[in-house]
Amino acid sequence: MSALAQLLDAPGAAVEAEDDFDAINALMREKGWSDGLPIVPPTEARVAAMLQYCDRPWNEPIAKIAPRWGEATPLRLAANAVMAGCRPEYFPLYLLAIEAMCEEPFNLYGIQATTHLCAPLVIVNGPVVQELDINCGHNAFGPGHQANATIGRAIRLALVNIGGAIPALGDMSTFGSPAKYSYLAAENEAESPWQPLHVERGLPKEASAVTVIGAECLHNVNDHESLSAEGILMTIAGTMGTTGNNDTYYAAQPLVIMGPEHAKTVAQGFSKAEAKRFLQEHATLPMSKFSHENIERRLKVTYKERYANAAPDAPVYALQNAEDLLIAVIGGAGKHSAVVPTFGATKAVTRALKTADGRLAKSVAEFRKA
Amino acid sequence: MANLQKRGLTTAVICSGPFLKLGQAQARTFGVPDLPLLVIQHPLGGQSIEGVKARADHAVPLFVKLLKEKMQ
Repeated sequence: MSALAQLLDAPGAAVEAEDDFDAINALMREKGWSDGLPIVPPTEARVAAMLQYCDRPWNEPIAKIAPRWGEATPLRLAANAVMAGCRPEYFPLYLLAIEAMCEEPFNLYGIQATTHLCAPLVIVNGPVVQELDINCGHNAFGPGHQANATIGRAIRLALVNIGGAIPALGDMSTFGSPAKYSYLAAENEAESPWQPLHVERGLPKEASAVTVIGAECLHNVNDHESLSAEGILMTIAGTMGTTGNNDTYYAAQPLVIMGPEHAKTVAQGFSKAEAKRFLQEHATLPMSKFSHENIERRLKVTYKERYANAAPDAPVYALQNAEDLLIAVIGGAGKHSAVVPTFGATKAVTRALKTADGRLAKSVAEFRKA
Repeated sequence: MANLQKRGLTTAVICSGPFLKLGQAQARTFGVPDLPLLVIQHPLGGQSIEGVKARADHAVPLFVKLLKEKMQ
């Protein structure tokens, strides 16, 4: 008996079903093991192929996923990756993303169970982007690329099937969001005038890495007219400054995604750190734009000293600390950027892809068993 | 709450109606399936201070009753 067959022999580790696509999908829907879309049946052979790219013990949890705090073992994750349509070589990156979002500062419990519509966003950097053909260009957050679509979907399936993020039970989001189906893209490092996100966050350039962010969907920033760095940044700042934004009330880490064309214009006048300072200073609304109740019950409570005796036009900041802003360059041609507010009570986590012995992985091929 | 309950301290959790299933699931997850849950009217957010106080006035005697029942 194979090692996998022995694991699947344990009580509750596997279910038997008729060897029929429709019957298996009906069973999955009945069990609630679904995001609503049809799944690829996680047969023993497909799960075994997925686990060929896993150098960890298959039955030992790499993390526990809130709110159920279910044990995310490679075996369970492999089944979810198969169901989502992942290729086996995606598996190391998938594991890394799950590990990163289960780290305490990310506050996955809050992100999963909140009434807010946030979802874990994964931004991928490094050589693995090219190796796995992860889209970082046109339509990077849209359909068309298997890696973006299925790794993101596998994350959602794990959050539901292992973590218990079941609508109205473990996931209390008032609306949910399309980002809860899949939310993964890569940074367009070749088109970025700045250091890649993972390098800025302390990793070597040759590392492959994920950065996870508890994020809303993208909100587009159209600016076809500005010719200067200040002009582009003023438009982005104006989009960031809104009422009803969680980031107003926390020391949050919102994300600004600059399209490559906007980034090039901004980089002609600003370093990334300077762009962050500009955005922090200008992404504001006058206090008078907030409702009386929000002024009295939120702003004057959360920031008592700043607003207790403030004038009506006192600035309310969308970003509390300039250095907390995340900037990534993603996308294709076009005069667009995007603003991505967050859940607020969450910290972005960046982690490098490493083999089980702690070495930086140069390629996912290093994980493949001979 | 679950840890306090496990240490022998009598505890109870107050939640509003839509969050009851989440509370029950969490109690099971943390190994205290019999953790008392007191359900109050939803929503708690977007209420005036007077509204919040009214919810508290309604909940406090029920909460005390729940704790007493648990302690018996």
